[in-house]
Amino acid sequence: MSNYAVEFKNFHYAYNGGELVLKDINVSVKEGSFTVLLGPSGAGKTTMCKAMAGIIPYYYGGRYAGSVEVLGEDTKGRRVSDIAMHLGLMLEDYESQLVSLTAGEEVSFSLLNHGFPPEEVEEPTKKALEDVGLPGRENYQLDELSGGQRQRLLLASVLAVHPRVLVLDEPVSAMDPEGSVSLYKLLYKIHQKYNMTVIVVEHNLDYVLPYVTDMIVLQDGGVVASGSFEEAAAAAYEDRELRRILPALWQVKLNLEKRDGIHLGMWRNTKDAIVELKEKYGRAEL
Amino acid sequence: MRVTAFTQLITVLAVTAVVFILPVQAVSFILVLELALLLYIKHDRMTMAAIGALTVFTGMMILLQLLFQSSLEVAMIGGLRMLVMTMAFLCLLAATRIQDIAQALVERFHMPCEYAFMLTTALRFVPDFLTDSSATLDAQSCRGYSNRGNVFKRMYSYLVVIKPLVMRAVAKSDTLALSMELKGFGANTYKNMKKQELGIGDYLVLTVVIILSTYKFWVKYL
Ligand SMILES: Nc1ncnc2c1ncn2[C@@H]1O[C@H](COP(=O)(O)OP(=O)(O)OP(=O)(O)O)[C@@H](O)[C@H]1O
Ligand SMILES: [Mg+2]
Repeated sequence: MSNYAVEFKNFHYAYNGGELVLKDINVSVKEGSFTVLLGPSGAGKTTMCKAMAGIIPYYYGGRYAGSVEVLGEDTKGRRVSDIAMHLGLMLEDYESQLVSLTAGEEVSFSLLNHGFPPEEVEEPTKKALEDVGLPGRENYQLDELSGGQRQRLLLASVLAVHPRVLVLDEPVSAMDPEGSVSLYKLLYKIHQKYNMTVIVVEHNLDYVLPYVTDMIVLQDGGVVASGSFEEAAAAAYEDRELRRILPALWQVKLNLEKRDGIHLGMWRNTKDAIVELKEKYGRAEL
Repeated sequence: MRVTAFTQLITVLAVTAVVFILPVQAVSFILVLELALLLYIKHDRMTMAAIGALTVFTGMMILLQLLFQSSLEVAMIGGLRMLVMTMAFLCLLAATRIQDIAQALVERFHMPCEYAFMLTTALRFVPDFLTDSSATLDAQSCRGYSNRGNVFKRMYSYLVVIKPLVMRAVAKSDTLALSMELKGFGANTYKNMKKQELGIGDYLVLTVVIILSTYKFWVKYL
């Protein structure tokens, strides 16, 4: 078995009657990594997430070539719900992905569907709700939960089957900054606790900077940079358009590195930056 | 003593049939029973509003029948029957969770699970849809939508609200379908739930229901 969580091999895809949306994708995500998927709007990030879960091409049809492997197994010919046992996917519009009327039912839904008897479902349901910070809310009606809580509930329902890989499409796009920070904190905690591979589409890299290990940069349906976050960020910095979507802090860092031909460390936050700048330049006015 | 959703469903169906057989006094008695039951289960504002709306609606039906030259008595009895029937469904909805009704429909009546699940999703998405429609109305009002003019003009201008609303509903149902696919919705969904076993309460209620619905038959021969 390979130690890649997800591996795209010469993958091409076009929606029904459309033109190519993903072009010759050759990229892999290491197991245990915290990978961010970055790219301008319309680059094909959501399409790529759906391809990982096997929804594409199974559900949408369309033309495709190449293969996608999840934990070393080709997604072709497998049922979407079986892949979901290994790779959990959370799409952007979380409200519409909740299918039940109470929190407990929502979390146990996929477990029951996979044939676990009702007695064996209670325990994992309880645990999944605890993991996302909603302990003891089994009997809550959906409308008794706030938007953020509903999103965590969806996360719990995805986590309930213990997937090895978690894929999230813009999880904080409808959230205030405070909620966003705490959601990523939670994701990191789960990533650490279960050594779960996390792949997340995020426009605002500031949120993921403290946790990220790898990055894939997508543009016009092709991968333009991938690998460790530092490598990929350096590669993205070379492109004028992509440069602007990097975090401000990293634009400074990469600019300094280029100007002075030095190598700076992995800046996870402003503090890291200040410490290193003081050390290297004797001052730090950002 | 608990009564399962299956028994409740059967009872409601029986009541809707029985109102046409039983004499008026008995039907009125059922109505009183239903009202008492309903107020016992739930007496919040929603229930009151529902009862009120039903009464008004029944009144209108009676008036309509009178307009079409039925005698007062026929109109009254017709109204009463309708009120009893709808009130029975109201009781059902107040007493049972829709999920249990769906489960009973699949388990006992062998309804395909997709249709049964529609009950749950409908209840789940109606509030969302209402929120969406008021949001769309606001958004389009900002862009100059107004409901002035004659009926046709109004209906035509209302299209600008309907269109985005439908688009949104379609997008949402697409996501919902995907989510159900990911979570493995299918024949297993209801099979693996805790079975709804019939208890003493169920048999008691069912017996009463059977006796009442065969009333015409045994009253003749006893
Ligand atoms: N269901 C669909 N049918 C046809 N074309 C689609 C469909 N979904 C997306 N596309 C097209 O595929 C391309 C990539 O879309 P995708 O949603 O993957 O972009 P994205 O990177 O997620 O963008 P965003 O950041 O805006 O979410 C777009 O050009 C879009 O028009
Ligand atoms: Mg997207």
